[in-house]
Amino acid sequence: MSLLKIENLSLSIYGTPILKGVSLSIEAGQIVGIIGESGSGKSMTALSVMQLLPEGSTATGRVCLSGNEMLELPEARLCGLRGDEVGMVFQEPMTALNPIQPIGAQVAETILIHQNVSRAEAMKRAREALNRCELPEDKFPMSRYPHELSGGQRQRVVIAMAIALQPKLLIADEPTTALDVTTQAEVLALLKRLTREDGMGLMLITHDLAVVADMADEIVIMRHGEVVESGPCPELFDTMQHPYSLALLKASDHQPEREEHSGTAPLLSVQNVVRDYALPREKLFAGQQYFRAVKGVSFDIRRGESLGLVGESGCGKSTLTRAILGLEQVQSGSIMLDGEPVFAGKKPNRDVRRKMQVVFQDPYGSFNPRWKVSRLVAEPFHLLDDAPVGRAREAAIAEALESVGLSAGDADKYVHEFSGGQRQRIAIARALIIKPELIILDEAVSALDVSIRAQIIDLLADLGTQLGLTYLFISHDLSVVRNVTDRCLVMQHGEIVEEGVTADVFERPQHAYTKQLIAAVPTLPTQEEPA
Amino acid sequence: MNRALIIGAVLSGAFALAALISFVWVPYDVTGVDIANRLKAPSLGHLFGTDHFGRDIFSMIMVGARTSIAVAVVAVGIGMLIGIPLGLAAAARKGSLLDELIMRGNDLVFAFPSLLIAIMITAVFGASAVNAIVAIGIFNIPVFARLVRGAALSLWTKDYVLAARVSGKGAARISFEHILPNVTNLLIVQGTIQFSLGILAEAGLSYVGLGAQPPTPSWGRMLAESQTMFSFAPHLAIFPGLAILLTVLGLNLMGDGLRDVLDPRLRRARR
Amino acid sequence: MLRFVLKRLVSLWLSLVVASVVIFLFVEVVPGDPAAYMLGMNAQEDTLNALREQLGLNGSLLERYLSWVGGMLRGDFGTSYTYRTPVSEMIGERMWISLPLAVFALALSTLIAFPAGIWAASKRGSIADVSVMSLTQLGVAIPNFWFAMLMVLLFAVNLRWFSAGGFAGWDVGFLPAMKSLTLPAVALALPQASILARVMRSSLLDTLGEDYIRTARAKGLSRRQALWKHALRNALIPVLTIIGLQFSFLMAGAIIIENVFFLPGLGRLVFQSISARDLIVVESVVMLLVFAVILVNFLVDVAYALVDPRLRVRS
Repeated sequence: MSLLKIENLSLSIYGTPILKGVSLSIEAGQIVGIIGESGSGKSMTALSVMQLLPEGSTATGRVCLSGNEMLELPEARLCGLRGDEVGMVFQEPMTALNPIQPIGAQVAETILIHQNVSRAEAMKRAREALNRCELPEDKFPMSRYPHELSGGQRQRVVIAMAIALQPKLLIADEPTTALDVTTQAEVLALLKRLTREDGMGLMLITHDLAVVADMADEIVIMRHGEVVESGPCPELFDTMQHPYSLALLKASDHQPEREEHSGTAPLLSVQNVVRDYALPREKLFAGQQYFRAVKGVSFDIRRGESLGLVGESGCGKSTLTRAILGLEQVQSGSIMLDGEPVFAGKKPNRDVRRKMQVVFQDPYGSFNPRWKVSRLVAEPFHLLDDAPVGRAREAAIAEALESVGLSAGDADKYVHEFSGGQRQRIAIARALIIKPELIILDEAVSALDVSIRAQIIDLLADLGTQLGLTYLFISHDLSVVRNVTDRCLVMQHGEIVEEGVTADVFERPQHAYTKQLIAAVPTLPTQEEPA
Repeated sequence: MNRALIIGAVLSGAFALAALISFVWVPYDVTGVDIANRLKAPSLGHLFGTDHFGRDIFSMIMVGARTSIAVAVVAVGIGMLIGIPLGLAAAARKGSLLDELIMRGNDLVFAFPSLLIAIMITAVFGASAVNAIVAIGIFNIPVFARLVRGAALSLWTKDYVLAARVSGKGAARISFEHILPNVTNLLIVQGTIQFSLGILAEAGLSYVGLGAQPPTPSWGRMLAESQTMFSFAPHLAIFPGLAILLTVLGLNLMGDGLRDVLDPRLRRARR
Repeated sequence: MLRFVLKRLVSLWLSLVVASVVIFLFVEVVPGDPAAYMLGMNAQEDTLNALREQLGLNGSLLERYLSWVGGMLRGDFGTSYTYRTPVSEMIGERMWISLPLAVFALALSTLIAFPAGIWAASKRGSIADVSVMSLTQLGVAIPNFWFAMLMVLLFAVNLRWFSAGGFAGWDVGFLPAMKSLTLPAVALALPQASILARVMRSSLLDTLGEDYIRTARAKGLSRRQALWKHALRNALIPVLTIIGLQFSFLMAGAIIIENVFFLPGLGRLVFQSISARDLIVVESVVMLLVFAVILVNFLVDVAYALVDPRLRVRS
């Protein structure tokens, strides 16, 4: 008998159908990966098992967890099962823990709720659970508060809470999406180890095919609330039939058609740049303390090339970006674009700014919601002394929109009328309108679903060739950088530890950190290139 | 449509209308004395009865609405006019000396409830309706400054502000083009709430004699004058009090309704 | 934690200094010659001089300020011009009415608001929730002095359960004294309780939507357990802010309510002094009330840090 059997599960929230006839099963000791893009219903499937659905939900069908019909049990019985028979880990570790309770008490609570043991006994077992999750006592005493831990460490605490009673099933909903790639690898390895040790079933939900390809026994692909295809892993990668599965697989490792570039003339030249931040004063009369976010970084971007900048959160890549954009003054070193300094004297240099633009990560936060697309796209005209007006302005806006695959008529709409992918197109149009030479792509495709991401990557590659643009492609996502850049830089702790032609860096990494990064990236099984 | 908004708008609209009509017409003259008709209980002739000078309570409430509304409008105006720029400036220069000064100044004003300000002003300059306006207005400044600063700080971290900076726009320009339009919803909601608090505060100040002075009619003073008589003529106290209650209730309902309609995410902002 | 408290103490003293300067400048400098102001138009030159002497007006501004502040620190608030008695004595007497009244009202307001707010939040959308919310909507809108008058009408004039005003005095016993403070305290507390209950409810609802509540539910806690063990303490943080703010409203309200009930507290003292143009008393009482507000805000800050470990480090 299966540990978990979901049969023909349908779910609607206030009448809106979310899941349509989902069926899947998980055996004890088995890792089942559930894959889908946003809105595919994968998280709701997990919450249906937990019976922690949002208000207004009605579920039909069957969810049977080790003999318990979850859809029919009364709430009191469900409380008895949650945490004991089935544990759950969520996506966002930063907010998943109670901020005002020490971690030990939060883990011990799982035990106290379900078993009639003394507080001391529960604390002792909580300690063991934390140890198992690689949070040793000397570094992570039970009295720590969540805000004293990093994202990866918090996720380990959440996992410790979920496995404290050795449940039969563990559900992990995008457990590593918010984490850096090396942390992700560690957390995934931890989940895998715990599953094997305890003989648990693991339901691993993710949007990233590569994550499950490495560790799942079974894969279930979902779209629009339905299961489109499922099968054993890794065999499924060779036998996939459904067009959506194939498209997803193809998009996951999308390589745009682009010309390799190997010019030599530098467009942007960064020399020995240092950026310090003043730290909040610890003591009233102590001297000012500084944090050095960028420690003497030098590199060139050559005209026409696409340069990748890779690094994990906190490595200093955002600070460096802001310095290049002239938003913040650097403490020492120089940043020259086309031979002119980005920061002239105390003020940013307008002449230089005209030659570069930026596209940000978040397609939702990148636009003033009260402005029409025309005004949004035209904002960089502020940099021009003779910005076009009237007809010429409208024509320029239309041209920019059309160049990114939107229509001139979209100028009169507001951004909320567009999807995430379309918004990112608008952001690119905004960057293009003053015909800059350098475009900085700051995690520009990181927030997009894989299929949309592939389209945007293609668009950027086309535009780059057509308009002779130079790109600085900043990302934490190594696989994207690998596919779209000519050369790349690897940044760690405010320093550039490796620089080289992208293919070389990925195939023959020199620096230990680069090796570690590349090894941590989950990979898809190699397949035949479809003709 | 939102029910709270409709009820609130109808209630507060009714009082605003009464105040407007009172400029051209009231059922009875409120300045004259009619001893023959003094302390009449409510009747068809005098809907809400008459006071100890024989003045018609209904007419006085109509005229009193003018004072309440005028004081509250000006006081909220003062608070917005000074508080909003201060809040925008503090957020644009977060962590600077200017920000620090503005925030400490706000804290200081918060230590002086509007009644204490009114007491100090009255002790030195004597009582008048202007006192009430100034006292409530001063108290409103930090309310708006804090609200705007808090909201603006989170807006300053948005990528669209970064994009505007990349386009070479300065802090002042960004504050007016990007920040201000995105805090207007909040301001409308908070404005309604401060408006209702202003009416309550004006009534309180006038009740203890720190607000509108005779002959300016005011709901608070009507209640003060009824103090010695309401045990045998309760209508003197009941109707002006109801007028305050219903106006404030109307404004609060309107604020709640506006908040839900304008932005459901603002639910947090309301206390 | 200790450093947090010390830091707050420093800012408490700074606020007090600035507030005292503001009050001093406003009351003693803005009117020009306070002595002339207090005595009115027809004062004799020698009486004026005598008053100036008594007020210490002949020194420089800084000297006058320092002697005023220095006196207050020693508990010497000067001598009332109209009553010819030390202000500290007058304040001392009146404080024994105003302070118990404020504490009584704050306690009532909290005791009503917490259960009401928690109950409404835990039964969100139910009839209980809707009725609590409608009642608080009325409570927020009602002017407290009018509510006080209505209570006098009902409980004193008609039912004769309470006296219509005045204070029995502490020497007649605790209960009779508290009885004469009951109607005023209820009048003060109900509108504040309404605001507090609304804050409690909405803060609790916000907290119940947080991710860590979902985590707690995934551990097997029931809705009720999650509310009591995780949501409540987190929800208290904004509630504390409002309690701090309310204290100043409560004091302001107390000044007005003392008038309705003819209670011989600080509020009555202020009004009598204003009509008597006794600036010394006004100045001292205002300073005292401002001190109380600043002190309460300090206590709220410390309470914050007790509830929220993040503040203890950040400070």
